[in-house]
Amino acid sequence: MNQLPQGGKGARRGATPRWQRLLRWLPLDLWRGMALTFRRQAPSAVYTEQYPLQRPVVADRFRGAPRLNNDFETGETLCIACNLCALACPENLIVVGAQRNAQNRKELTFFTYDLSRCMFCGLCEDVCPTDALELTQDFELAAYSREGAIWDRQMLENGPTPKRYEK
Amino acid sequence: MSGVAIPWPVGGRLAQPPGNAGNFMLATVYILLIFLGISLGVIIMNWAERKVLAHMQVRLGPMRVGPHGLLQPVADALKLLLKEDLVPQGADRLVFWLAPVVVVMAAFSAFTAIPFGPTAAVSDLNIGIVFVLAIASLGVLGIILAGWSSNSHYPLLGALRSGAQMVSYEVTIGLAVVAVLLHTGTLSMVGIVRSQIESHRWLLFREPVAFGLFAVAMVAETNRSPFDRPEAESELVAGYHTEYSGFRWSLFMLGEYAGMMLVSAVAVTLWLGGWTRPFPNLHGGGVDVLFSFVPAASFLLLAGLALRAALKMPGHRRWRAQRGGLLAFGGLLLGLGLWLTVPTVRAQSQNVFWFVLKVAVFQYFFIWYRATFPRYRYDQLLRIGWRILVPTALANLLLSATLSLWLP
Repeated sequence: MNQLPQGGKGARRGATPRWQRLLRWLPLDLWRGMALTFRRQAPSAVYTEQYPLQRPVVADRFRGAPRLNNDFETGETLCIACNLCALACPENLIVVGAQRNAQNRKELTFFTYDLSRCMFCGLCEDVCPTDALELTQDFELAAYSREGAIWDRQMLENGPTPKRYEK
Repeated sequence: MSGVAIPWPVGGRLAQPPGNAGNFMLATVYILLIFLGISLGVIIMNWAERKVLAHMQVRLGPMRVGPHGLLQPVADALKLLLKEDLVPQGADRLVFWLAPVVVVMAAFSAFTAIPFGPTAAVSDLNIGIVFVLAIASLGVLGIILAGWSSNSHYPLLGALRSGAQMVSYEVTIGLAVVAVLLHTGTLSMVGIVRSQIESHRWLLFREPVAFGLFAVAMVAETNRSPFDRPEAESELVAGYHTEYSGFRWSLFMLGEYAGMMLVSAVAVTLWLGGWTRPFPNLHGGGVDVLFSFVPAASFLLLAGLALRAALKMPGHRRWRAQRGGLLAFGGLLLGLGLWLTVPTVRAQSQNVFWFVLKVAVFQYFFIWYRATFPRYRYDQLLRIGWRILVPTALANLLLSATLSLWLP
């Protein structure tokens, strides 16, 4: 009854028996549709995610806000200011600032990351030799100005702090 | 009616509706009550439609204004009142102003002949059903006026469609109603219900085909989905009310919903026994008492739901106002439910309750259709009207007229 016609009109006539053609006068498909919408209105079937109240679960391999990791024992940054991320970045949006200290070691002075140009390709985190730079699962990157999208070292170390709502 | 005096099923202070008794004061009070009731119904319908439609589409619907969006109609009304009231350039100002008024007046004034109970009607006209159908048909005039006066393409197309559609489906409605009148022998709305009480049978069981035809035609008559050709948004923007905004647009909406309730009320009166409760033949063994407690019980159930929701709310500071409001709402419902258990109130109110409940079921069906069916094409719509519904209605009329010679 609800199948697509196969071939010409004659073929369809031959395929469906007479009693099925009579069934067409009972709009069964209408009743079936109404049964479907009736079943779907159960509150448990609701698919909407009430975003600020309910937070979405992002995929494991989601690449979101960048983060500069610190050594969790000493609290010092893992970044050795090697500049590889800045070189790897196709958008040239990372700027790494460093200074030689008394032991002639490079020390990180500043680190800026322009999120407004970032395409989250993940090349920077791939190339980082000390796993200092990492793209996390945080996705709330909105800012009130273009300058707000340029994250400095402190912002990169702390990560975004969105307002949490209670349901 | 064959002149046999039947005792009223439920005793009231009045023997007849105030309009018939010549009691103008009480008639005015009834008119105001009906006006308030219909407006309240439109408000509830506004919320319920968005909510039910959303849930049928696996969405949530309004959730932000008040608990579960209960205050959404208030927010909508405020928005509409504050909106700029535009009149398009080149529009016929007088007709543009008149059109929504005609739609609302037509939908509301037909309610004067609808009986909510044996005496709970403004007036029991001896030509009741003809009056209701005639006044309800005036609505199409308002729509055509709106389309014409807007001086715009889409409204005009919508109005033309509406004219063709309503005229076609009124034929079906008329023929379906005549099939009922064969059995009642009266045009009075109260008389139609009384004849159903007299024959111990709702006319649904005597004229199911006519009811089916009316149920389809009334959806088309009120321009509701799937027959909402006049306002088909995917092709006509908003149809006949494209150029309307603010308060005038809300009048159209009011008229549409009042029209839905009107045709539902007509269907309930004609086929579903009007104000009679379900199983009106069962009397003994406390059934009467049991049914008379149903209105109170349903209000108490609603109150329980509201209070439970209020208590389940998280104890956050932001929810305090909402919780208070919901508690007050639940308290109001609780008070109403308790008030309805008072014996005299119980006896007076149950007719109205059953009538309103039946109409509410029809409203649910209107929403259900809208959630389920895709819109008909224009030619399909007219083909259904003229080639299926009208011949079926004619055949049904002839058949039931012939059958009624032998069957009661």
